Amino acid sequence: MAGTATKKKQKLTPYLFLAPHLLMFLIFFLIPMVYGIYASFTKWDLFGSPEWVGLQNYATIFTNTESTFYRQFWNGLKNTVIFVIICVPFQVLLPLIIAILLDKRPKGRNIFQGIFYMPTLFSITSVTLTWLFIFNRSLGLFNHMFGTDINWYGEQPWAWITIVVTTVWWGLGGNLIIYVAALSGIDRSVIEAASLDGARGLKKFWYITVPSIKFPLTYTIVISIVAQFNIYGQPLIMTGGGPSESTYVLLMYIRNLAFGTGKSVAGMASAMSTCLGLIIGVVSVVQLIMMRRQED
Amino acid sequence: MKCKKITALLMAAVMTMSLTACGGSGASTSDTPAEESTDVVGGGDSGDAAVEDASAEEAPQVAPGKKGTIEFWTVFTGADGTSMQAMVDAYNATDPDYTVNHRAMEANDLYLKMPLAIQSGEDVPDVCINHVERVPLFEEQGFLTDYTSFLDGSEVKKENYNPKAWAMTDLDGGHYGVPLDVHTYVLYANMDLYEKYGNGVLDDGILTWDELKSVADACLADEIMPMGMAWLRVKFLASYAQLGGTLSTDGNTPDFNNDKAVQVLENWNDIMNSGYGQKEGDDPWQLFLAGKVLFCPEGIWMYNNVKEAGLNAQMFDYPVFDAGTKGNWTSSHQFVLPKNDSRDDEKTMAVLDFINFMGNNSLEWAKAGQCPAHVSIKDVPEFQDMPQAFLADENDELKIYDYKYYGYAVESLDTVLGEVLWGRMTPQEALDQAVQETKDKIEMSE
Repeated sequence: MAGTATKKKQKLTPYLFLAPHLLMFLIFFLIPMVYGIYASFTKWDLFGSPEWVGLQNYATIFTNTESTFYRQFWNGLKNTVIFVIICVPFQVLLPLIIAILLDKRPKGRNIFQGIFYMPTLFSITSVTLTWLFIFNRSLGLFNHMFGTDINWYGEQPWAWITIVVTTVWWGLGGNLIIYVAALSGIDRSVIEAASLDGARGLKKFWYITVPSIKFPLTYTIVISIVAQFNIYGQPLIMTGGGPSESTYVLLMYIRNLAFGTGKSVAGMASAMSTCLGLIIGVVSVVQLIMMRRQED
Repeated sequence: MKCKKITALLMAAVMTMSLTACGGSGASTSDTPAEESTDVVGGGDSGDAAVEDASAEEAPQVAPGKKGTIEFWTVFTGADGTSMQAMVDAYNATDPDYTVNHRAMEANDLYLKMPLAIQSGEDVPDVCINHVERVPLFEEQGFLTDYTSFLDGSEVKKENYNPKAWAMTDLDGGHYGVPLDVHTYVLYANMDLYEKYGNGVLDDGILTWDELKSVADACLADEIMPMGMAWLRVKFLASYAQLGGTLSTDGNTPDFNNDKAVQVLENWNDIMNSGYGQKEGDDPWQLFLAGKVLFCPEGIWMYNNVKEAGLNAQMFDYPVFDAGTKGNWTSSHQFVLPKNDSRDDEKTMAVLDFINFMGNNSLEWAKAGQCPAHVSIKDVPEFQDMPQAFLADENDELKIYDYKYYGYAVESLDTVLGEVLWGRMTPQEALDQAVQETKDKIEMSE
């Protein structure tokens, strides 16, 4: 009897340690999420009581081509996906290249690492405002230095370029330190052995480095994709969604519907965000499964 | 081995899902208000525990000799917030029965927190500042108290206020707002440049679009920009109102995709195609302040910018199609009474007393660049010397929109007007899209 009691106690202990986090998780994440999903099946102005409309919001988003919400959802989703596709490769490759260079232990390595990491510490607003000034058409640094007259925010592809540059610059440090740590963890003797066997630059990178940092690499790719699907602040501040709503991303529409100038259209906003959440979830899981398969 | 892999995969999936949702603040978008509301309840950060619950008003926190406090929420977070605080301090210095606590917050916060507080019945402010465009919807939603029964016994009188601003909050047979000010979008002219290029077009005090076109080419020859074209929503609304346009004929269904609206936008195309406006991506107001623009419309509240830049500029009515029909887009900050069953009449009368004081002592507000709505300001010599003084006498010229779905309409206009200005959409396409969007949102919110 006493034995089972101890056992029970032992079983309980880990949960006690988990409890604080689980509680926060429940209050600030799980319950709001469930409530958000519930709201997506309703018509709701945030103040009154939600009116159950079943799948109507989803039907509008997916089938009613006449509706503004249909147009907004698909345009927003398209723009978001475009952004993810352009941005994520830079967000992974650029820090990786820098990490490899830093791994060669140049002089002032720590200083450079610090400099590269610094933007990550700033808020999105201050980062975006900084770049906003740099790309200002008449008064900005870029056009001034290079003698160009590019309308950065008002024309494509410049509008995307400014947003991507800002984002990559801002988020460089996060992935960078992960790569630096991962690279320094590779057993030098393996690399040496490969060198002795005649492996060179790219081959060494592809067959030794990449497999050795596979997990951190997957992790950062997934994280970057998830993060970039949630893009909001950069286009909001820099382009305002223009030109021609071509940088109007999904979260901007969602935010405007839920917390715009007029009465809140929270039900529709929730439906859109539930879709976005699902898409991000599916994309991430598929990626992980593919990575696992490769390993097998 | 296999088992381990499956576990690992599961763990990873759980991890991503949780990440997704963290990031997918979308899913939780609709929950923010819940947090906001707790914030409201707990956040009586005015350092005054009396806001904890209504009954606590008689609690010992109230200073000796006082009956309580008036919680006053405003949208003045900038320099105007300092002016407002100074006015509140002046009122409190008169030793009233109720001390006023001024709490300034971002407009969007106020428009979220005020209804939530009213609904929860806790921590309800006693008086708030709302933009006049917000009042009809809040009234319809039942968030506001009718002033009518209180006006008789108070010094707050209809005839003391700018009639237009007052009339805008006559709703459903009641009265729901007392105007603090009217703030108008006007034309600024750089008088040094005008001297050189103006050719006397402002002699009659008003600029027509044709007059602009007649002097614009001379400016361009010297690389002076004739007209700044930014904050398009308000420009559209001003010109559209001059032509007699409304956002909705029946007050419900939006129908601003008509010929009058098209005429406004075609006029823009005219101006931009002739190169009289700024290049896309440039900020005309900054260029105006730098002395490179002849005419630039902006709000009267931006006058401090002009003063700081040391620019010799004057305010005029917004440009017109026809010199006989003036029209300036105008909004108004209004005192509203949030509905609160636990506020007794005595306190409400004290609020009106406070509002009356603010009206009679509004010079400070004029200094912040606004045009006070109380008539007493016209007798203040100092105000007469201010550049916005001419607006105090205007009435029909002030175009205030009171469409219930103003918020939806202007939001949808914001998305398309730039496209028209830069020639990426035709006026009709743009207006159709905006009207459709407004309609769809109305449908969803009813």
